[in-house]
Amino acid sequence: MNVGKTSLLHRYMDRTFKDTISTVGGAFFLKQWGPYHISIWDTAGREQFHGLGSMYCRGAAAVILTYDVTSWQSLAELEERFLSLTDTAHHDCIYAIVGNKADLTDTNAQLAQDSDGHSGDSDSLERTDEQVLSACPTPPASPVSLSGLMPHKQVTHEDAVALYGRILRYKGLEETSSLPAEKMCFETSAKTGYNVDTLFETLFDLVLPSILRKRNENQGCTVNLEDSRGGGGSKRSRSGCC
Amino acid sequence: MLSLHRDWDDIMEKEDHQQGEEQEVKICDSSSETLATSLSLLGNHMFPDSVQRNDSSDSQLSDLAAAVEPCLKSEPSDHVTRRENEGPENGVPTQPADTEPEDADVENEQSDSGDFVAEMLAKAKLEEQGIGLKGRSSPLLEAGNDESPALMSHRDEDVTAESWRQHRKHVFVLSEAGKPIYSRYGSEEALSSTMGVMMALVSFVQSGDNVIRSVYSDGHTVVFLQKGPLVLVCVSSSRQSEQQLRGELLYVYYQIISMLTQASISRIFEHKKNYDLRRLLAGSEKILDGLLNLVDSDPSFLLAAVHCLPLTCSLRDSLSQILQKAITPNLVFSILIAKNQLLTIVQEKTVIEDTRLEPADVHLLLNLIGASSAFQAGEIWTPICLPLFNPDCYFYAYISYLDPPDCTVCLLLLSTDKEAFYAVAECKRKIEEAMVTQKSLSLIAKAQSYSVSQVGVSDLRHFMYKPFDVPDHYRQLSQFTSPEMEAPYSSEEEKMRLLDLYRYMHSRIHSTSRPLKLIYHVAERETLLAWVTSKFELYTCFSPLVTKACAITAITKLLRWIKKEEDRLFIRYPAKYSTTPNPSKSSRGAKSDQQDSTDNGFLSLL
Ligand SMILES: Nc1nc2c(ncn2[C@@H]2O[C@H](COP(=O)(O)OP(=O)(O)O)[C@@H](O)[C@H]2O)c(=O)[nH]1
Ligand SMILES: [Mg+2]
Repeated sequence: MNVGKTSLLHRYMDRTFKDTISTVGGAFFLKQWGPYHISIWDTAGREQFHGLGSMYCRGAAAVILTYDVTSWQSLAELEERFLSLTDTAHHDCIYAIVGNKADLTDTNAQLAQDSDGHSGDSDSLERTDEQVLSACPTPPASPVSLSGLMPHKQVTHEDAVALYGRILRYKGLEETSSLPAEKMCFETSAKTGYNVDTLFETLFDLVLPSILRKRNENQGCTVNLEDSRGGGGSKRSRSGCC
Repeated sequence: MLSLHRDWDDIMEKEDHQQGEEQEVKICDSSSETLATSLSLLGNHMFPDSVQRNDSSDSQLSDLAAAVEPCLKSEPSDHVTRRENEGPENGVPTQPADTEPEDADVENEQSDSGDFVAEMLAKAKLEEQGIGLKGRSSPLLEAGNDESPALMSHRDEDVTAESWRQHRKHVFVLSEAGKPIYSRYGSEEALSSTMGVMMALVSFVQSGDNVIRSVYSDGHTVVFLQKGPLVLVCVSSSRQSEQQLRGELLYVYYQIISMLTQASISRIFEHKKNYDLRRLLAGSEKILDGLLNLVDSDPSFLLAAVHCLPLTCSLRDSLSQILQKAITPNLVFSILIAKNQLLTIVQEKTVIEDTRLEPADVHLLLNLIGASSAFQAGEIWTPICLPLFNPDCYFYAYISYLDPPDCTVCLLLLSTDKEAFYAVAECKRKIEEAMVTQKSLSLIAKAQSYSVSQVGVSDLRHFMYKPFDVPDHYRQLSQFTSPEMEAPYSSEEEKMRLLDLYRYMHSRIHSTSRPLKLIYHVAERETLLAWVTSKFELYTCFSPLVTKACAITAITKLLRWIKKEEDRLFIRYPAKYSTTPNPSKSSRGAKSDQQDSTDNGFLSLL
């Protein structure tokens, strides 16, 4: 939750960033990609509670697992809570691991990347900072640095790559015959637009051939925005406390 | 009083039953004067009197004790007096007027519970922390906050600041164990000590086999509502009745139920008393925020009725037919909404024979749609429980706009099958196609709410009319009709002022201890007349100089106009469909199935 899935999709579809209104359930979008329509599900947490997660992922050609780079817990929860929801995805589904809110930790992600991208208001930046700083528990691997105004980057690219490896193992896939981790781990900022187009377009280009192959099966292509419930609001979801 | 009553009989020959109930028909002239007095104070005191503040107001902990504390000193009759004198003008600082309390019909058991709480507090010495909750909101301050909702999140408010206290209506939700769940302003975490005090209050009283209902203090009403393992608290400086505030808390409760179901909330807290429910409500705060804003600004909630957009009968019928033809198994409700008002509702036959859709459930759905406006390009699929229909099971709601990018016409389809998204989305395509063929969208775009000038009654500024005379076998939804609020009620402040006057009239009409059938109320800037019969409930607002006789003639004309227009103003004959010849499961039939899946879901969280 709150890792910025909806914001990512808004940035990509509408070219804007706003402090979004809360996601109500899952939201289904159709994106025109050349002559094709690609369906995208934006999920909304509580999926496990409602048992809807498997529906969003059914037959998916790609799943985007999103975490918040300032929250170690958001990455941990991807694995603990959300990976199992992808069981209903298509057998040759591809997985992308996306660390969002990179603008909070990397100066080069603070520059708007899209031609028409412009950053949001500073209010929401401050707000997110606060949330993250107050909310994140100290992770075992990368301690929080309190120096400086920028929230410390809690999840490194290497952490994401390691998770990617574990996902392949979970899925019973060979690393050698799968897409390389370097290609499938992204860091983005919905706020500035950093890497957002690259993320979606890379995925679309990757899934299209496999869809064309299966065309006769008459199956649409679904890209999922799978998230972690942790993220900025991790105070709300301490795992294992219940 | 009697003369007016006679006039009345002339108007409504059919209203015989009124004659046997003369004592209940009370024209509140005295109250009008009281209110006129208080309203005249309004002009002179637009800003709060210098607010008494305790310098050591560093702890929110004391707020509640403070709110309660004055009860220790004031006699019950005294606080009733204050409430009456201050009139319905919310948040406007009026000095205690020197007028007499006009009558005691607002008084009920509230004062007793207040005293009881006070006693409990005295025992607990909680009042020692009291600092006097003197902050009052001014409409101007409120407006200032509302202007920049995007920039300013209420969650981030400094809960120790005076501005936080000055909100007109605070709402808190906590668990029985005292864990914060929701706060309208400021984060629940920052407020956990306040919530703790509230919880202490509630448990004091529970231990004495008595449930706290409400507490009055200088300018504030604190209302408690316990529902299962949840405790809801409202701290209001609006002049609404306890009953109305409790009704609003009930809406908040229902909205929470609509996201989680009553059964799972009970089960969660049975498992673990101090479970942090925010885990499951994360991201939903804005839905509750939106609900509370609607409750303040939309009279639908007060009247417990839905507002339909006026449409010619033929257009409404053709829209219903389009919906009736686009069906799939397990679809149970198809609802079309434009400009946040109902266009039509079409219902699955067997489900609606089982039970009817309650206005409160429709309000929750409309609020949900409002909260999801960020997804105008997408199609939403979300589990939703309709608490009055069945508090323990989910429907699956499909929400999509039919007119992007304008996004004013919204389609809501409710299914009992959580896997039905693609089938239901297909219904939307059929509906879209049919609407293109019939050019329905452009016809809907022309539909508007109406102006009171169309009624053709001079001096009539605004009204709200809720009929009761819909034949029961239609299982009709309670509806009301009302024109746009026009000048002098165009600004947000003035709109709210009129709504507050209506709320005051409503509280008098629906007083539990002394309900009234008819109130003629002369205020400084307008004259109001509220009237309830076995056939309708009516609230009217006239220019201030209207005479009683004029008002009565005007209402006769208004009732005639409504009669003439009723096919356009209301959904008269809700259409039905049957999705399967022999439906395998209605929502109720599917109850056990639904609960199983929730069970699994819940266990996986453990
Ligand atoms: N600084 C920053 N904040 C972001 C970014 N993406 C989202 N947010 C903020 O994070 C919060 C949650 O975003 P949302 O898209 O609703 O998250 P979701 O719950 O995963 O859909 C919002 O307050 C966003 O404004 C980002 O790239 N940078
Ligand atoms: Mg979202």
